[in-house]
Amino acid sequence: MIPEIEYIKETELDLALQHLASDKKVIPFAGGTDVLIELRKSKNPFDRKALLDVKGLGLNDIYIHSDTVIIGAASTHTEVEDNEIIKSKLPVLTKASSLIGSKQIRNRGTIGGNIINASPCADTVPALLLYDAQIVIRSLSEDRTVPLSEFITSPYETVLQKDELVTEIRAFPVAEDYGWGYYKLGRRGAVNISRMTVAALMKVDGEGKINEIRVSAGSVFPITSRISDVEKMLVGEKPKAEIFRRAGEIAAEKMIETSGRRWSTPYKESVVKELIVRVLNEAYSRCKNDDLS
Amino acid sequence: MKIKFILNGKKTVVDVPGGMRLIDLLREKLNLTGTREGCGKGECGACTVLLDGKPVNSCLILAAQVDGRDILTIEGLQKGDSLDPVQRAYIDTAAVQCGFCTSGFILATKSLLNENPDPLDEEIKRGIAGNLCRCTGYAKIFDAVKTAAEYIKEEN
Ligand SMILES: Cc1cc2nc3c(=O)[nH]c(=O)nc-3n(C[C@H](O)[C@H](O)[C@H](O)COP(=O)(O)OP(=O)(O)OC[C@H]3O[C@@H](n4cnc5c(N)ncnc54)[C@H](O)[C@@H]3O)c2cc1C
Ligand code: FES
Ligand code: FES
Repeated sequence: MIPEIEYIKETELDLALQHLASDKKVIPFAGGTDVLIELRKSKNPFDRKALLDVKGLGLNDIYIHSDTVIIGAASTHTEVEDNEIIKSKLPVLTKASSLIGSKQIRNRGTIGGNIINASPCADTVPALLLYDAQIVIRSLSEDRTVPLSEFITSPYETVLQKDELVTEIRAFPVAEDYGWGYYKLGRRGAVNISRMTVAALMKVDGEGKINEIRVSAGSVFPITSRISDVEKMLVGEKPKAEIFRRAGEIAAEKMIETSGRRWSTPYKESVVKELIVRVLNEAYSRCKNDDLS
Repeated sequence: MKIKFILNGKKTVVDVPGGMRLIDLLREKLNLTGTREGCGKGECGACTVLLDGKPVNSCLILAAQVDGRDILTIEGLQKGDSLDPVQRAYIDTAAVQCGFCTSGFILATKSLLNENPDPLDEEIKRGIAGNLCRCTGYAKIFDAVKTAAEYIKEEN
């Protein structure tokens, strides 16, 4: 039991937003796979709150509109994983969603909840960063759209205000000749909060050189982000083992620069290097280029 | 608040407090104690029930959230006196030791085989990855899933 809590469900967005705008302490939730655990752990269970179930609002449509993929914030990981548009347009997200927790968790947990919870190991974030995702936010007074790269401000903190709901996520697919890679390193078997995740998109030109490259990493830096130093170094290079190793070294240097040296650094340093090499190899192996034999 | 839902095929109407979890409703109010609580945080799967046919952790859902939905617990699986083929398979392959995890595994298996009657080993692994067993070491559970798939084919 989570004592003394009120449950609110609305089917209309404006009515839901009115609850959030009131003085009452109202917490929105979708799958509840993060929130219900937090509430049960909370030291102050009698601090009277209300839970607003955003699943009543629908918000689980997935569709494509002038080359942008729109994903309802309350789409479950299972809905994302099984969606054909996402499979063909955002394959890295399909992969990320399919590796979350367990079947039971994927059937309840949502993409919006994953992003908004803003855990450094939220698995959909590195994938969505590759597609320049944007977060669409509504309140009674304002609609705004924030790039995912600015949405999460520190671990477990976002720009979202108390009176706001996330309604959808927008992602921008790349051309089909891009190769992709996604690599998640978990501490436990199937059910795990991932400890390190790397993702990449790569395009190789007619001369066999890297033409465009996007690389992101979760649980490596305080905030999951793209690694621009690695991206800059790789552009114009021929994809070779030695270049990929150099990319791994740059990522590791960057990690130490932002987080400092800790007890876990020697371990994490070698793992980051290795994961970057793997994800780049994986992306390169999927690059489609007829000029390459 | 009052909720209406289908529980093991029967229309059910109950009054629940807003913060009551589904597992508390099932075990404490409705006396359906076949659903177990292990970890209470989504990790062990002992509390698995089927929500509209799909496995979910009843420790991570509020009772209020199942209003208008369909819930199947282990108690709803057998038809009259005859056990479900998945239940028979778990017994016949001796995939049960202490039994604490078993209802969760059986329901996860049921839903897996509904979606995919002929799962490969890798697919079985993914299907039951949300269920932990501290006794059997999983080999017998794999046998049970495969045997259940056979039993279901024989029935059809
Ligand atoms: C056993 C277990 C294993 C897990 N494994 C993984 C894993 O492998 N990888 C991973 O990334 N995560 C994992 N998780 C974490 C979790 O399941 C995911 O982060 C999930 O996507 C959260 O979504 P939710 O809908 O359940 O969020 P909720 O718990 O409903 O909400 C999370 C946060 O988002 C807010 N919120 C939700 N929706 C909205 C909205 N539309 N507008 C405004 N605010 C909103 C809530 O207020 C809350 O702050 C795991 C969790 C468990 C319990
Ligand atoms: S009791 Fe629900 S998953 Fe363990
Ligand atoms: S039989 Fe004891 S936990 Fe599975």
